[in-house]
Amino acid sequence: MGMTYIPSALSEALQLRAGTGARPLAGGTDMMVQAKRGIGLAPEFPYPVMIISGLDELKGIKAREDGTVEIGALSTPAEIAASPLVPWHVRMAAAGMGAVALRNSATIGGNIGNASPKGDLPQPLILLEAEVILVSMHGEKKMLLDDFILGSKKTALRDDELIKSILIPPHSFTYSYYRKIGMRRANAISKLSLSAAAVVKDGEIVDFRAASGAAGPKVIRSHEAEAMIKGHRTEEIPDILDGFLAAWDGAISPHAMPVYRRNTTKRMLSFFLESIFNGSEPGIIGGEV
Amino acid sequence: MLSKIEFKVNGRNTVFSGNPLTRLIDVLREDLGLTGVKEGCGEGECGACSVIKDGKLVTSCIIPVGAVNGSEIYTIEGIRDTEKGKCLVESFAEGGAVQCGFCIPGMVMAAYALLSENPHPTDEEIRKGISGNICRCTGYDLIVASIRLAADKGGDLWA
Repeated sequence: MGMTYIPSALSEALQLRAGTGARPLAGGTDMMVQAKRGIGLAPEFPYPVMIISGLDELKGIKAREDGTVEIGALSTPAEIAASPLVPWHVRMAAAGMGAVALRNSATIGGNIGNASPKGDLPQPLILLEAEVILVSMHGEKKMLLDDFILGSKKTALRDDELIKSILIPPHSFTYSYYRKIGMRRANAISKLSLSAAAVVKDGEIVDFRAASGAAGPKVIRSHEAEAMIKGHRTEEIPDILDGFLAAWDGAISPHAMPVYRRNTTKRMLSFFLESIFNGSEPGIIGGEV
Repeated sequence: MLSKIEFKVNGRNTVFSGNPLTRLIDVLREDLGLTGVKEGCGEGECGACSVIKDGKLVTSCIIPVGAVNGSEIYTIEGIRDTEKGKCLVESFAEGGAVQCGFCIPGMVMAAYALLSENPHPTDEEIRKGISGNICRCTGYDLIVASIRLAADKGGDLWA
């Protein structure tokens, strides 16, 4: 069993991190469950831990002048879901996590650091090409979230680093889609999720992207498949749809219930693209379910 | 670095100086005798251990006490004699919301948090507000009706 520390400033936390390798514990909604020992017993971790929930330097949601939104690592799903600064896809994912109490405790830094393939926030963040800011005693560095999450439960976080914040670049989509499929409407881990977005100008699809959650060891985007849609006109969608769906299907790798996950992913992508083809009003496709 | 954890429980100053990973629920139940806080799943899924931390509903079974330094915690014992608490207790009794009762302290805390933020919730919003609180007896309908009753009876109390 390792030591437990409670740093009172970020500088102190970074010294501890470098000196002891203590792992950060913020909301505890994953770690306290993973290390649970039962009624009346404190959880035990086989490594040193530092409780960072009091570090103000890691809190807050701000918009920068260029429209980039910075979300502090300790921001909770409740704060994210309620912030008008946060893009729609990310607010939807935050609002659908767990239930009320979990959304008041969990943190975006924890959801990313835990790197579960079923984690709710990385999926829309990777769609939006978000970056993480990592901080150590030597300073800060930026990295695309898609590069930071290496696989199931694996990240590129070094032993002396902490996740400081998440940066979401500005965007303006013509069409947006988000769906999380769980066993219940609340307190459900994702069985499958999908975000998609398109920019259409004068009938031409100038940007198209999608991100699949819980369909492989990490969130999956296929830039190759997306490129098969980009540059085409909306009236060409029926001609290019099957090729795109086959390419996306080749990119995802669900290990459990693969038939269900593959079929449902295809149906969601078809629904989104066919809605665009059918001349849907710009905005959210399929409502906010 | 903090070596002792200072916080308020039901308005009283509290100091804790043991293992910071001790679960908040154990401090509340074992050290402070606040046994209205129930342990169901121990994983933050069932809501029986719900308390209010700095105005927000949280599950005390997965919060380490080291994370509540400077916080204000309210348990069912801290709210039951307030006007809002009495309104909820009376409405739950009148509406027949309680069967075995194990989930009820958590349900009341969730209802308290909901009505404090949203004094006139729709039934859908009430169901969302208690969506993290599991009841194995009632089927929820009478709990939802009782929270609606508390909203109606309380009126300005919740505004």
